[in-house]
Amino acid sequence: MANFLVWVVWVLAAFACLASALAVVSFRNPFYSALSLIANLGSLAVLFLLLSGEFVAAGQVLVYGGAVMVMFLFVIAYLGDRSEESPWSGGPSWLAVGAVLAGGAILAEVIVVVGLSTGNLLSKPQHIERSFGSPASIGTLFLTDHLLAFEVTSIVLLVAAVGGVVLGAHARRIDPLEHPHPERADARA
Amino acid sequence: MTAATWTCLLLPLASVIVITIGGTHISRRAAGVISTVTTFGSFAAACVCLGILLSEPSYDRAHTTTSWTWLSAGQYHFGLSLLTDQLSVMMMLIVSGVGGLIVLYSLGYMHGENEERRYFAYMSLFVFSMLLLVQGANLLLLLAGWGMVGLSSYLLIGFYQERPSAIAAAKKAFVMNAIGDATFALALFLLVQQTGTLNYSTVFALAPHHGAAANLIALGLLGGAVAKSAQIPLHTWLPDAMEGPTPVSALIHAATMVTAGVYLIVRCFPLFEHAYFVQDLAAGLGAATLLMAGLIALVQVDIKRVIAYSTMSQIGYMFVAAGLGAYANAMFHLMTHAFFKALLFLAAGLVIHAVAGEQDIHKLRGVGKLMPRTRAAFLIGSLALVGIFPFAGFFSKDEILASALASGWYGHILYVVGMIGAFLTGLYTFRLFFIVFTGEPSAFAREHYHAHRGQEGPFSMLIVVFVLAVLSTISGWIQWEPMWGLVSKWLDPVAPPLVVPTSRDDWLSSAVALVMAISGAAVAWAIYSAKRLEAPKPWAVLEHKFYWDEIYDVVFYRSSDLLARSLGALVERPLINGSLAALGVGVSTGARELGRAQTGLVRSYALALAGGLAVLLVVFVAVK
Amino acid sequence: MHGPEIQWYVALAALLFTVGALGVMLRRSPLIILLSVEIMLNSANLLLIAFSRLHAREDGQIFAISVMAVAAAEVVVGLGMIVALGRRNVELDVDKLRTLRG
Repeated sequence: MANFLVWVVWVLAAFACLASALAVVSFRNPFYSALSLIANLGSLAVLFLLLSGEFVAAGQVLVYGGAVMVMFLFVIAYLGDRSEESPWSGGPSWLAVGAVLAGGAILAEVIVVVGLSTGNLLSKPQHIERSFGSPASIGTLFLTDHLLAFEVTSIVLLVAAVGGVVLGAHARRIDPLEHPHPERADARA
Repeated sequence: MTAATWTCLLLPLASVIVITIGGTHISRRAAGVISTVTTFGSFAAACVCLGILLSEPSYDRAHTTTSWTWLSAGQYHFGLSLLTDQLSVMMMLIVSGVGGLIVLYSLGYMHGENEERRYFAYMSLFVFSMLLLVQGANLLLLLAGWGMVGLSSYLLIGFYQERPSAIAAAKKAFVMNAIGDATFALALFLLVQQTGTLNYSTVFALAPHHGAAANLIALGLLGGAVAKSAQIPLHTWLPDAMEGPTPVSALIHAATMVTAGVYLIVRCFPLFEHAYFVQDLAAGLGAATLLMAGLIALVQVDIKRVIAYSTMSQIGYMFVAAGLGAYANAMFHLMTHAFFKALLFLAAGLVIHAVAGEQDIHKLRGVGKLMPRTRAAFLIGSLALVGIFPFAGFFSKDEILASALASGWYGHILYVVGMIGAFLTGLYTFRLFFIVFTGEPSAFAREHYHAHRGQEGPFSMLIVVFVLAVLSTISGWIQWEPMWGLVSKWLDPVAPPLVVPTSRDDWLSSAVALVMAISGAAVAWAIYSAKRLEAPKPWAVLEHKFYWDEIYDVVFYRSSDLLARSLGALVERPLINGSLAALGVGVSTGARELGRAQTGLVRSYALALAGGLAVLLVVFVAVK
Repeated sequence: MHGPEIQWYVALAALLFTVGALGVMLRRSPLIILLSVEIMLNSANLLLIAFSRLHAREDGQIFAISVMAVAAAEVVVGLGMIVALGRRNVELDVDKLRTLRG
């Protein structure tokens, strides 16, 4: 019974995940794409829970869905309506063909290859404790085995914040695209 | 002995170095004096060597002195060794003695010329090189001296650098000598392969006795000798070499360098005796040259060219002797020839110097009346050259003819050629004498003659001519076989003579030779002096020197020019230039095509990434 | 473990990745491209968590958290650029933004 329930939840979550991913890629309005991505993140969080990754699931919803996607939505709102008329067209013809081929190749390879070569390795998940994936154990690992990753990640975030400020602040200065010859404009006026 | 040998060799080298480094800090006169003194110093050292050798028994007269091992490669070792034996001492004396006299003469002749110091440096270089050649104890040093002598000759022929004809003549001499050097070197390679060394004694003992190797070795050596001594077919450079100053012609192209070939054959006679064909070839080439040169000399109008062809002819005699095996006889003729040929050149030089550098015999007609002492000297030289008793040439030339007579049917042919040559020698020599030195002076001579302080030339020139005249008169007497044979006895252990004319047949042949020579002189007198006979018109083939130069031009120069031009058009321009140009074009085309991947389109870059990922996945899995 | 085995998660992650890759290659708006990149990152995260469960080691989850942090940083910078472009009224079309070429 438990197994059956898990299967049902899995199928629903997987379906939602794929559908929302396709939606992200297909909408013309970027606002709708961003909302679909939030749905994608949610379904992925459910899948994480199925895999006993409670902390990661919570983090996914809070950080990814709550912070990153909100930022996305803010920016899309700020930029205004940027819907595209024909989202899938444009560019040289070989691009579309090549993209489909490459994507299909990657898909086939991953499934076939991973299936072929790791057939027997994948069939026996190990036994886990109750505390597997709990915040306590994740936190312990972060502060002992993977301390360096922890610290470096914080630096990466700092640099990104600085970069964001810099990128955002520049636009206030001289803008050569809008005012090509400011002196001459003054002289004529 | 060691000290004397090394002194003899190194004094001229010291002179070269001092004059070169001194440059303009030493006066011109000083350069000349340094050169002269060192050359006479070498002569003194050579005399010391002679004295020491004389005090030793005749079988024990070969001394080798080595300073250090010069070249050491695997099992081959070549030392910087000098050999002092009878043959080398004879050559040392001739080279340094006649060389010293000629350098002394140059003090007067070259006085006031441009770049006198350079001249004396080159002369000392030449003396050093020639001494190295004759004193070396192995063939490698001989080759070194051989090459340096060729270099000095090139430098001295082209001494008057402003004259294009002089430069061309110098190049011609050097190139023809280089051909001889190449065959010489090939022979040395074979020798090293066969015997593993180049020391005279070892090589002569171990050389192959018959077969292809022996013949090739001898042929290679003969090639070198022929080039250096201006025999057919490598003779065309010698007349052109008269572009150099007269003392140079006297020293290098009469007395010493051109006789280096004869020295080589005599020194290496064991190698030649293993190859009969090559010996006969040497004698044959000598005979052909002596005849051809004698004929050409009949029509020359430049005073120095006549004497040059005469040199070629006399060396032909020496080659005949060496080819027949009469080594000491050849060396004897070499010695007397050095004296009287140098005398002839230097006397001609007195004339040239006094008459503003003119060399055309018709313009110089009758200058003998203005310069009687020179005329006397030239007469002595001519008599010696033609072989009139009691002058030097008689003794030496006779021995050669007698050797020819004693050498079978081939020798008889050579004998006849030699007789004809004697007639021709008389004819052209006295033609020259009668035209230039007898009769009334021409207008040109009278107008341009200027005496040097009342004398016919500077003292340094006159004294040398005098000494050489004396030597030309008496030097033949040291080898008069019925009484004594100093030269052949001296050289016997090293270079044996073939025959000594003692029998009645030999006396007869001497008489016939004398008659031929005198009749040649008589004909010349009849045509040119007494004007009893009409001078015949010169044949075109003689005037063009048997067309040798023209043939060489077509066969060698034009064909290689054609080859070079066609290779340039067919190979170099399309293939080499073309391939380089194509390389450039290919690189730029390839770069342009590759550049088309830089589209600026982000999506195409993403496609490239995805495609690469797809490929890499397969690769990773396949490798695992 | 109940439910599907690891192969299913691997297949799902592969599909997600392919969808994201197609989105990057075939859409012209930089916003959508950035969102597609997020999809790809998430598919990688899914794989990491799945294998972490398989081997019963939490290191995979640690890795996934780091990936999340880096993705956030990347989004910050990407959006900053898009905002800068948008302020200048440049058309947000990657086919037109071509001046960075060799």
